Parts: sequence; C-alpha cells; structure tokens
Amino acid sequence: MKKKVLATVLSVAMGVTAITGYGTVVSAAEEDVTLKVFSNLPDRKNGQGLVEQMIIDEYMEANPNVTIEVEALDEEAYKTKFKAYAMDGMPDVVSVWGQPAFLDEVLDAGVLTELNEADYADYKFVEGSLDGFKKDGKLYGLPRNTDVAVFYYNQKIFDDNGWKVPATYDELLTLAEDIKGKDIIPLAMDGGDGWPMAIYLTDLVNKIGGNTKEIVSDAVKNGDFTAPEFKEAADLLKKSADAGLFQDGYDSQDYGTAMNLFTNGQAAMFYMGSWESSMALNEDIPEEVRNNIRVFTMPVVADGKGQANDIAAWNGGGYAVASDSEVKEEAVKFLNYMYQPDKLSKYGWENGVGMSAQDQSEYMTGEETELQKQIVQIVKDATSLSGTPINDCGPSAFKTSIESEIQSMSNGTGTVDEFLDTIGKACK
Amino acid sequence: MKTGKRKLTPGRTALWIVLLIVAVIQIFPLIWLTDFSLASSTEMFTKGLLIIPEKIQWGNYVKAFTDGHFLQYLKNSALINGLAVLFVILISIMAAYACRRMQWRLSTTVKTILLLGMMIPIHATLLPNYKIYNMLGITDTIWALLIPYIAFSLPQAMFLMTSFLDSIPMELEEAAVMDGCGIYRIVFQIVTPLLKPSIATVSIMTFLNNWNEFMMASTYLSSPKWKTLPFSVLEFTGQYSSNYAVQFAVMALTAAPAVIVYIILNKHITKGVAMGAVKG
Amino acid sequence: MKKLYSNKMVIASLILPGLLVFVFAILAPICLSVYYGFTDYSGMGTAEYIGLENYKNLIHDSTFWKSLWHSLLLAVGFICIQHPLALIVAAVLDKLQGKAEGVFRCIYFIPNVISVAVIAYLWKFIYNPDFGLLNNIFKAFGYTGKINWFDSRIAIWSVLIVLIWHGFGWGMLIYYTGIKNIDPVLYEAASIDGANHTQTFLKITLPQMKSVIQVNVTMAIISALKQMETVYLLTNGGPGDSTQFTANYLYQQAFKAFKYGYGNAISVVFIIICIAATVLLNIVFAERSEKRKAVRR
Repeated sequence: MKKKVLATVLSVAMGVTAITGYGTVVSAAEEDVTLKVFSNLPDRKNGQGLVEQMIIDEYMEANPNVTIEVEALDEEAYKTKFKAYAMDGMPDVVSVWGQPAFLDEVLDAGVLTELNEADYADYKFVEGSLDGFKKDGKLYGLPRNTDVAVFYYNQKIFDDNGWKVPATYDELLTLAEDIKGKDIIPLAMDGGDGWPMAIYLTDLVNKIGGNTKEIVSDAVKNGDFTAPEFKEAADLLKKSADAGLFQDGYDSQDYGTAMNLFTNGQAAMFYMGSWESSMALNEDIPEEVRNNIRVFTMPVVADGKGQANDIAAWNGGGYAVASDSEVKEEAVKFLNYMYQPDKLSKYGWENGVGMSAQDQSEYMTGEETELQKQIVQIVKDATSLSGTPINDCGPSAFKTSIESEIQSMSNGTGTVDEFLDTIGKACK
Repeated sequence: MKTGKRKLTPGRTALWIVLLIVAVIQIFPLIWLTDFSLASSTEMFTKGLLIIPEKIQWGNYVKAFTDGHFLQYLKNSALINGLAVLFVILISIMAAYACRRMQWRLSTTVKTILLLGMMIPIHATLLPNYKIYNMLGITDTIWALLIPYIAFSLPQAMFLMTSFLDSIPMELEEAAVMDGCGIYRIVFQIVTPLLKPSIATVSIMTFLNNWNEFMMASTYLSSPKWKTLPFSVLEFTGQYSSNYAVQFAVMALTAAPAVIVYIILNKHITKGVAMGAVKG
Repeated sequence: MKKLYSNKMVIASLILPGLLVFVFAILAPICLSVYYGFTDYSGMGTAEYIGLENYKNLIHDSTFWKSLWHSLLLAVGFICIQHPLALIVAAVLDKLQGKAEGVFRCIYFIPNVISVAVIAYLWKFIYNPDFGLLNNIFKAFGYTGKINWFDSRIAIWSVLIVLIWHGFGWGMLIYYTGIKNIDPVLYEAASIDGANHTQTFLKITLPQMKSVIQVNVTMAIISALKQMETVYLLTNGGPGDSTQFTANYLYQQAFKAFKYGYGNAISVVFIIICIAATVLLNIVFAERSEKRKAVRR
C-alpha cells in the first residue's frame, strides 16, 4: 500500500513537472541542463562513434534533466572548427588530442579546464597514457585510445594468391609488385589528408632510428630535420610511392575513398590506425572482406635499429571540458561517467574499436574478432612505442606544413631535401 | 520559317550533333549519379559506364532522407534564402530610390560606396566576421547567415534597381505628389509595382547565389537547427564513409529540389538571369 | 515637391538600412582584418602588435604567390576554353529554332542550379581512378591505363574542368541573350550579300558582342580570383599546394595553422588585389571602347 501511495505521489509529481514544462525548476539539482558535445566521430552507427553515442544515450536516460547535443565532424573539419571555437564559445565537452601540435596552443590560451588527477586513480589508465594531456604537471584531458599504426590486409586475397606477410620492407615492396601484377591495388593510403602519411613516415623513422621520441623532439626543438633517419625515411617513402605501393592518385584521395578501396576488395592492404579495427564488425562491409581482415605492423628496414616489435603507437585522441563552460560541473560529471572503466573502455572493446587507454583485460571474453586479438597481441609483444607521430609534435604551423609538404615530396613535385628544409623552417 | 518543316541539311545535322554532345556532357554526370544511387555499394567498382542494379536499392534514399535531416535542412535553406531575397529587395528599392530620386548632396557618393561591395571578395570577410558574430553571440543563429547573404547580394541588386529606376519616367510620381502622396507611399505603392521585372531578376540572382553558398554556413553554424541543404551531403560523407551508394543517394536528393524548381520555372529564370547579366 | 524630395529624415530612413548592412557586414570586418593583420594573434589568447611583419612574410610566402598564379591560370582557362565554347554553342543554338532550342538551353543550365557541395563530391567520384566515370569512359574507348586526375601536375586543370562544366550554362546564357539582342537587319543584309555562317559569325556576331564579351571576361577574371568553395571541397588545395587558391589559403592559415593574424593580412591583400583587378579591367575596357567610338566617328 505504502509503495502504491508513493508511486502515485511520484507519478503526480512527474505529471506536474511534465505539465509545467521544461522551464520550471523542481529543485536546484534537477535543473535542466544542456550539454554540448563536440566530437570528431561523425559515424554514429559504427565503431567509436556508436560507443560514444551509446554512453551519451545512457547518460541522458540516467539524468533526465540533462540534454546532450552532439555536433560531429570529420577529423580535419573537426580540427579546423575546434580552432575557430577556441577563439570564443567552446562547446562543453570536446574531443582533443594529447599531442603538442593540437594541445600546446590550446592550453596556452586556457580554453580547457583543469581536471583533478586524483579523481582518476581507480580508472585504470595505462601507465604514461595521461602524459600527453598534462602541462606543468596539471591534467587537462583524458585519453580515449591506445592507437597503433597498422597494415590491415585482406587475408583471403593473400591466401588465394599465396602471398605472405612481409618480414622486411624490401619484401613489402616485392610483394607490392606481385599484387600489382594481379591488377589489385597493393596498399590503400589516405594521402589526401597529410596525417596518415606523416604517421607512415614516423613508422619508418621508428624502424630506422629506433629511438623516435628523442630524434623527433630534438628536430622539432631545433627546427632541423637533417638527421639521417629523416632523410632515409623520406627517401624510402618516396621510393615506395614511386614503386606504386599506393593506389593511383593516393595523394588526393580522402579517408573514405582509401578505406572503401580496401573494404570493397579492390586493395589488398590499408594503412591506418588500430581504431579502424571495428571494420570487422561493420555490416556495411561485404562479409567476405569483413571476416578476413588481419593486421601486421611496419616490417623492419634493412640496417635499421628498430626491431619488429618496436611499434608506432601512442595515446592520441581523448576528451576534455571547456574552461568557460556554463555547465562545467555537469560537463565534468559526464566526462567522468564516460571514463568509468565499464563505459568507454568496455563498450569500445565489445564493439571492436581497438584498444582503449585503460586496462581492458577483464573484458576479454575470448569471443573477440580475430582482428582484435591480433592487435592486443601486438601491443602486448611491443618492446617500445614510438610515441606521438611526427606531424603532431610541433606547433600547428608545423603540422599544416608537413601535412601538405609530405604530399609534394612523395609525389615528386618537391625533393626530399626541400621537404626536410621546409618543415624545419615551419617549427620556428 | 520558309518551309513548313526544316529539312535536315548536312549543316543542320552538324549543328544538332554539336548541341547534343554538349548536352550529353552537361547532363550525363547527373544521370550517372542517379544510376549509382540506386545500386548497392559493392556494384560500384564496375568497368562499365552505367550499372544495371541487381535490385533497385530504394533503401539508399530512405536512409538519405531520414539520416540526412533532409526536410529540416530544406526548410532552413528555403527560409533563409526567402528572407534574404525579401530583405534584399526591400533594402535595395529604398536605397535605390534615395540615391536616384531624392535630392541630397551625397547621393552619388553613397551609391558608389554601396556598389563598392561588388568588388569585395566574400571569403575575405570570413575570418573577421566570425570574430564579430562571436562577440555579438549570433553565431549558430539565422542572423549569422542572413546578414552576409543580404550584404553580398545587395550591391548587385542596388545596381539593377537604380538602372531600372532611371528608365521609369518621373511623371507618375509627380502626379502622385500633386495628389498629396508621401514619399513612402510613392516608393512602395507606385514605384515598386513598376520595378517588377527587376524585382524578379534580383530575386532569382539572390536566390541562385545564396542557395549554393556553403563556406559561410559551415563556418558560422554548428547545430543542425539552421544548417542548410549542402550539409546533408557533407555530414553523410563522414556518417556513411563506408557506404558509397547512400552517399550518391544523398547527393541526388540534395540536388533535386533546385533542379525541379528550375525545370518548372525555366523560362522565367532564364529571362531573369539574362536581364541581370546583360545589365550587370 | 522639392521640399518633399529633400526631406532629410525621409532620405535617412530610406538609405539607412542599406548603409547599415554595408557598414556592419562589409566595412567593419575589413577594418577588423586590417587591425588583426598587424598582429600575431593566433586566434586565442592575446594579440601583439607586430607592425608589417605579416606582410613581409607574405612577400616571401611561395604558396601565396602560387595561389595567385593559379587564379591567373584559371582565368586564362575560362577565357580561352569556356568562353569561346559558350559563345560558339550560343551562336549555334540561336540558329536552331523551335522547341528544341528551349530544351537545350534548359539542359545546359542545370548544373548551375546544383549546390557546389554536390558538384564537388560528384566530381571527386567522377575523377576517382578506380571506379570513376571519366576513366571508365576512357576504358570504353579502349584506353586501359589509369589516369590520376589529381596528379599534382594536372590537378589544377582538373579543377578547371569542373568549374567550366558547372559555369558553362551561365556563360552560354549570357552570350545567347547578347546574340538575341543583335539587330536582325544586320543578318539579313549579310545574307543578301551572300555571306556564309562562319563569315556572319566573324563579321557580325563577334563585333556586335564586344561589350558582352568584355563583361564576361571581367567576370571570369574576378571569379577566378575569388575561387574557393569548389577547391575547398574538391582538393582543399592539394596535393601539396598544387591547387591552392588565395581564399582557401587564408582560411587554412587562420583556422588550421593558428595564424589568425597572418590570415587576416592575406585577406587585406586579397581585397586590394580584387579591387585593383576590377578597376584595372574597367579602365582597360573603357579606354578601348572609347577608342572604338572615336574611330567610328
């Protein structure tokens, strides 16, 4: 009986709130809040975007007074608009990258709010993963993924033709010849955006020089890219492009085009970050491709210092809260909600979007896709991680420069030396 | 015409061939677009020019229609453009009348200043305008688009209105003054109806210019509330990056309203553009 | 009457809306651009006055000069390819009377009413080396190689093709109207003299169209300078900077490279160039038409 009374009271109360409409406030805690989330994940039905949307929907259900509005743009468009927003009126919760090219100027301008690191003690963040989001020991954002640069390949095409995963870079180039001979594109490359190629370059530097972090940070600091590692890596990239490793017109084709070549079986390989491992679960992709996607990492380069298990990996994307947000409290609350280990990390795992920046071992069921297991193994076996890709290590002017110049260098419009010279100048 | 039916001389055949080739070049990409939008993504990697879809995929259009916010964006586009046209006509008639008929010292100077806007590249104002609108808090509102749309259509409208106004004799207005009409009544009740042809031209030109505008919309707007039709296409390339067929469908759908309206109003639009162009 | 027409209040109320729009949407931003052009403002934080530094850097900025060069190439492309084609087709269309004339005119103009966003993405697909329409056409004619339409050496011409295709109907329509406005008596006289089609075109149509051609040429050059949207969506200036245009470049500098001050300096120079080009073209054409008048006299 009591319960019933209570229920009646409650439903009456709710009815009243419903009738009086949005504007009326029942109590301070129940005040209607609108959170603006600005995301770099436009595809809300697959992969990471789906995970983000799931958590947002859950949060709104758990907190009926909160409405979350999402604006989502592609990576490049996102970064451009983020900078425009940084001038004034940043949305409440935003995607950020824990990398100097993105974060340094943003933090200098003070547009992101400081987070209390102690709050995240039991969030199981992988060691060192928060570093990129710190400045002067203060934390300004949280990482979402552990990103690994990988070669996705179509195992069926490989098996049908008796091709093997290359162990050295020379083998990769020979393999490319064979693949081309079969009228298949060897490697789909998103060269229209400059950053995947810059990651590729980082990957090569890592295999050639071994200690990428140091080499890169010195070069950026001194604005001098004449170190032999860069020259050799750039030469190798150019040589690969000349040899036809990438598809025709790779330097003008965007992310979607490159990926579609691979997912439609037109290309045998696709170079991209581990975040695309959700391809294995994407129903838009034909089944015979989807089920046969496997990965390998950059093969070793002859005489290079980097070993097979020194991989190009970093903690890149994540989230932060705007410092001038009018609903900062709610925004931080939402941020923390997303990062509860059983949210982003778990859902991400279940949806096959690769590795989060938090310990995911307890969510392993053994039911994961082959692709996922492979990537986990790669990270587990890694002897060293390259850290932030080169293009994201300097100021934005440097990033803009290298991402444009790397196209000119690889397609032969400019020489390797000009390339190294120009990007060096852009650091200053 | 000398004969009832023109004979197909070799000369005329050549004429037809030239015109047909140009027509095919102009229209075939759109046919290709429509064709692919009805296929499935996997069928696209074909060697042929057109594909005969195994099964016609109307579902592509359903996705494009619902996930592309098609109706909402169409409504926004129509509303913003309609308002822009209305304001441009109103302001340009008033300004043109003030500069050409009213007697004051600075009339020519002011007219020149207003026409100067024609030379300013619209995109050069993207950066500062973004800053200004931010300060005023009108980014992501309808004003952020209306103001620049009006401003950059105004000079041309001014130009057309003044030159047309010059060709209207003063007698009618003089008679109205005798009858005791005020200036406002003269402008809106007597002169405006006479300006009908140039009003039509201005409407068409303003509409055509702004309907296709995208740069400012993408810079000044963020939420779907006021986004215009081109955004359907843009948002889809991210959302359906692995489904080409749907991307084709959304392109076809976005292009459709303007094409349909154009085909219906073809004669008027052609006339309007021609008049605007020859005068401008 | 005089009093009524010189009423200051009425004049002010009529002119004010137009003037306000001009000041607010055109003049104020330009002033702000001039101001920020003298600073090192990154878009956030504070702005430091740095004098002419931005302008000095601009002189040495090879991408900026390239973007102007591309505008010039585009203008040449418009003038040498699009306009002759449009003029000839307009003249041919004029010969064709009846219903077909209207149908063709309508078809030619259709691309013009389609949004740039659609056009740019559509052509991205058309140019795709792997399944694009264009390479498939070449294949249909037996050419099996894959052409990379956005190779950095030819990308600018691929952009030009899109722009020509998109704007063809507009140019054609203007010439067509010009031709229709030519006094038919001239043609009758020519046909009595026994002139053939080519002769009439060269001796009557072309000279009569001079003023229309001048207007069109001016518009072609200005629109080449102002080019942004198609390039932004189609190539975003790439590969490298092989299709970079001024407007796109200033946008990138401000919102991507965090050089808002520098971007504004480019805006200022950009505005000056556009005004100078317009004024110059007007002077050139005005002089020539005066000379012609003088000769006729």
